[in-house]
Amino acid sequence: MNKSDDNGMDREQDELMSMARRLPEGVAPQRDLWPGVAEAIIVDRRRASFRWNRALAQAAAVILLVGGSSGITWFAMKQNAQTPAQTFEAQPLALQPVSGNFGSDYHLGAEFMEARNDLASRLEQRLQTLPQETQTDVRRNIVRIRAAINEINLALAEEPHNSLLQELLLSSYREELTVMRRVEGLASSAMRRTDI
Amino acid sequence: MEALWAAGLPETATGNETVTEKSVGDEQRLLQRARKSDSSAFEALYRLHVDRVYGLCLRMTGNVSEAEDCTQEAFIQAWTRLDKFRGDSSFGTWLHRVAVNVVLGRLRKSRREQDRMRAVADVAPVRESVGDSAELNDLEAALGELPSGARHVFVLNAVYGYSHDETGEMLNIAAGTSKAQLHRARRLLAQQLNMGTGEA
Repeated sequence: MNKSDDNGMDREQDELMSMARRLPEGVAPQRDLWPGVAEAIIVDRRRASFRWNRALAQAAAVILLVGGSSGITWFAMKQNAQTPAQTFEAQPLALQPVSGNFGSDYHLGAEFMEARNDLASRLEQRLQTLPQETQTDVRRNIVRIRAAINEINLALAEEPHNSLLQELLLSSYREELTVMRRVEGLASSAMRRTDI
Repeated sequence: MEALWAAGLPETATGNETVTEKSVGDEQRLLQRARKSDSSAFEALYRLHVDRVYGLCLRMTGNVSEAEDCTQEAFIQAWTRLDKFRGDSSFGTWLHRVAVNVVLGRLRKSRREQDRMRAVADVAPVRESVGDSAELNDLEAALGELPSGARHVFVLNAVYGYSHDETGEMLNIAAGTSKAQLHRARRLLAQQLNMGTGEA
């Protein structure tokens, strides 16, 4: 290949590159591709929204539970200051019916209701078998828990579909059940969470 | 299309159009809205850039169906990564980078790329007529016959005007390799088009 051939080849190559640059950069797709993109975007946005809402809800639940717990303690301390310890001994623990609007997110199962009623019906009898100091502690705890349940129910009456309040209420019912089961001296076969 | 009209942008825009300050400003506003998960703004961006992204995908894959999938995937990835676009390059260039990654990713997944492409080519209308003359159409057809490495470099460098550094970065190869692949592509194309080989 001589110099003339090289020059000719270079010229042709330049022509090739020139042709390439004349090609349109944009080519219209044969069909509209946006619907497929839009569908994926909507799913992605829903996932992101769900993740964000879930994270927010979890954070709020933690705050509420901690706040609620502190509130219960504060309420109990206040009650303690106002009410002599003998009050717990003097007042029989009347079973309060389950109340509150649980919305559509939570339901108290039949097993839970049955266990609660059974335990509550035997509570006074079992308490009598315990030492006086223990009786006082138990009565104090149950009064606190039931006061918290009342407070949450009041809040739920204003916000019946507040899932965080619903969760807090259920948590309080579980606490009540736990105390009564301890009194009853049942084995540690705790009720499954799914029962509530 | 409503979003596009609402944004005051032209109905279609290709890479060959002059990018005016107004359109850049419009694009920035659309980007800001899209970053806030405004899908109508993102649709407007899609309408602005889809032809250029699809053109790149079509030329890199050599197949209509693959190009459509890659284009959709590129825009979906762009949506999820919008917060990572810092504006160091134009949005169109950034989209091209995303699209190239998508194409390469899909090709890597297929160990039998050549066989698959050829199999599809046998049953589907592969090449769209995109040129404004017979010789450009011939060039498009010849591009599809190039080995993938040479084709990718030629498309990015010769058709879309990216430098060897940019091409190498996009394809994850050295700039020197990009130059070598371009040389190879030009030689093969010239042979196919009976240009400059002395064999015509």
